[in-house]
Amino acid sequence: MKALAITSVNVKRLLREPSTIFFVFIFPMLLILVIGASFGGSFRPKVGVLNAGGGQYATAFVDQISGNDAFNTIVYDDHDALLGDVERGYVNMGVTIPTDYDQRLRSGEVGQVEFLGRADQSVFEYRATIEAIAAEQSAIFRAARLVADDGLADFDQAVVSARLVAAGSGALEVTTETTGEALFGENFGQFDLGAPSNLILFVFLTSLAGSAALINTRRLGVSRRMVSTPTSIGQILIGETGGRFAIAMIQGLFIMIGAAVAFGVRWGDLVAAGALLIAIALVGAGAGMLMGAIFDNDEQAGSVGVFLGLGLAALGGCMVPLEIFPDTMVKIAHLTPHAWALDGFSELIRRGGNLASVASELAVLAGFAAVLLALGTWRLRKTLTS
Amino acid sequence: MRAAIVIALKDLSQRIRDKSAILLGVVAPLGLAFIFSAIIPDATASSFNVHVGIVDNDHAAISAGFIDEVIPAVEDQGLLTATMFDDTDAALAEVETGSLDAVYIFPDGYSASVQSGGGGTVRMVRNVDATIAGQIAGAILDGYLAEVEAVTISVGTAAINGGQDIAAITAQAMDSPATVTLADTEASDRTLDTTTYFAAGMAVFFLFFTVQFGVSSLLEERLHGTLPRLLGAPISRWSVIGGKALTSFVLGVVSMVVLAVGTTVLIGANWGNPVGVAILMMAGVLAALGIMAVVAVISRTPEQAANWQSIVAVVLGLLGGTFFPLSQGPRLLALVSKLTPHAWFMQGLGDLSGGAGLISVVAPALAMLTFFVVTVGIAVWFGRGRVLAP
Repeated sequence: MKALAITSVNVKRLLREPSTIFFVFIFPMLLILVIGASFGGSFRPKVGVLNAGGGQYATAFVDQISGNDAFNTIVYDDHDALLGDVERGYVNMGVTIPTDYDQRLRSGEVGQVEFLGRADQSVFEYRATIEAIAAEQSAIFRAARLVADDGLADFDQAVVSARLVAAGSGALEVTTETTGEALFGENFGQFDLGAPSNLILFVFLTSLAGSAALINTRRLGVSRRMVSTPTSIGQILIGETGGRFAIAMIQGLFIMIGAAVAFGVRWGDLVAAGALLIAIALVGAGAGMLMGAIFDNDEQAGSVGVFLGLGLAALGGCMVPLEIFPDTMVKIAHLTPHAWALDGFSELIRRGGNLASVASELAVLAGFAAVLLALGTWRLRKTLTS
Repeated sequence: MRAAIVIALKDLSQRIRDKSAILLGVVAPLGLAFIFSAIIPDATASSFNVHVGIVDNDHAAISAGFIDEVIPAVEDQGLLTATMFDDTDAALAEVETGSLDAVYIFPDGYSASVQSGGGGTVRMVRNVDATIAGQIAGAILDGYLAEVEAVTISVGTAAINGGQDIAAITAQAMDSPATVTLADTEASDRTLDTTTYFAAGMAVFFLFFTVQFGVSSLLEERLHGTLPRLLGAPISRWSVIGGKALTSFVLGVVSMVVLAVGTTVLIGANWGNPVGVAILMMAGVLAALGIMAVVAVISRTPEQAANWQSIVAVVLGLLGGTFFPLSQGPRLLALVSKLTPHAWFMQGLGDLSGGAGLISVVAPALAMLTFFVVTVGIAVWFGRGRVLAP
């Protein structure tokens, strides 16, 4: 009962701080949003298009680019702005249709379209598609040129009939199918990658940074006063651990439910997801207890907590997906609880796993929790009784 | 001035003893930059190459034109590697496992059907994750087929416009040159490589935590009752404020320099022209100092200041693209990021790396100095009679 009171004081202290409200509840959601918006969904290279002359043939070229689903087309009206954005990577490539494009085609010259690409390898990746569009446009104007040169029709008229022929002729088609198992699974939602990684990152970060509260409790003599009351050390330890655990659970549940409601994240099997969350919260509580017992200066603990919280998260695959890690780093990543928790959520979200299929991840996390909680309570008991 | 320096020296020695400034100013950013450089494979190291398989069941003019002329040409560019397969299933199996990105399958009788005007379909199968490679493979074939089709379209167009001599027109069509071509303009690369990106990103992100130690210590002086003593001393009030600002400035500059040198030596970051980098760093430190001063001035206690400073630092850092580049996100995000000094700092470094010379740091430096001037103005205006009130 007394342990429960200590737990609830811990939670209340947290919820009173406007800044913790921000870091515990608002910031994780903001991050999931920004990451989902930047990297979620299928990647479509951006092509910046500048239609300088605005003639009908130039517009036909531009329309064919923007009609291509593989690209995300952005219209520019200034060449320098387009070039700058290509150089800085805001668009993957640029296409400029010069002012005299239509006029050159009509007068029998070659219509040159400018392709702007950065010097790195990415230039080749996209050029082929624009080149194919140029070839298709070229085919129409070749036909029209021939007909106009033979005096059968005027050029503009010939273009109209060439388009009709192109649309009506036995088309040369290419069908595309896909095969193989997708890295992130089929139907992988825009926010499905960011949500679990941020859940894990923030529960640990809050737990580690939260150790400052425990240090303050000790520094201000609150824990000494608690010990002097007829409260057993065990009760105090359970209460402090419970406080850390409760905070981690509140945050974790908020992120899980919030991400599901706001961003449509499907966490998969709820029992298994809940079990993973409990395991993560226990590991976090243990780590927070240990830090709170080891450090005597709350500012130092706060700084170390932020560094460890971010560093372990990065190392454990919460900032950059484990799937793109080099092989050795994947092994090193699994020295952190983060990587195991991520594996667990991946199993649930991407492969429709259940409690049985995440048993090994849960076991490892339980091991982390047991060791950290044992060390943390042992150290704290020592500082309280000495 | 002397008083300000004395105050700054005292604060600095206190910060060094406390270690939290070293931790946030040097250890954390260096450690994180190191971790990021280890976990992210360098994209430029393995240059992009599309692996395709070709199954030719046609064995006639059109498939031969593709296999003998188009494919060798793109292979020469180093863009693609092609392997011939006799067995469709064997090729498909390799696509399925991902050892091939895509396979082209020309059906039996394809050329005959196309040449008789009946059209035809080439089947392409790509690995589900080979999005870009599949797109390239498709585009190469599309481009070739458009060339093939140009003759058919020419003959058809001539015919409906009253052309009589089909044989002559066909010959003419086959010789007619391309009417639309691409002219390449090589844009310089103003993006940072992965290692430098994270080194710089982490440096500027943690800079905001480092500089707050100086400006916020005024609040600590008040809390610990040392502020009235400072004010009672025969020194001007501006020396007190100047001393605190100097502390922030020195902490910021030292941490940035240590990080630039450290990441260059330890993980091979490439910050670029030292003069340009120095200008950007100075401007960045001043911008950070101004912003953190505003938060400190508005806060009542050091704790409150620290809390709000972390929020401001983290939000600006995220929106400024220090943890991941925002260039791939929605354009709105890229525009919003320009409201952070972080984005200007990163852009300045990027432009510098693009080889545009020192001139390219002028705009980013001016943007960051604008942050400094505006925020210092706000801090002074808000802080009148408040900050130094005992």
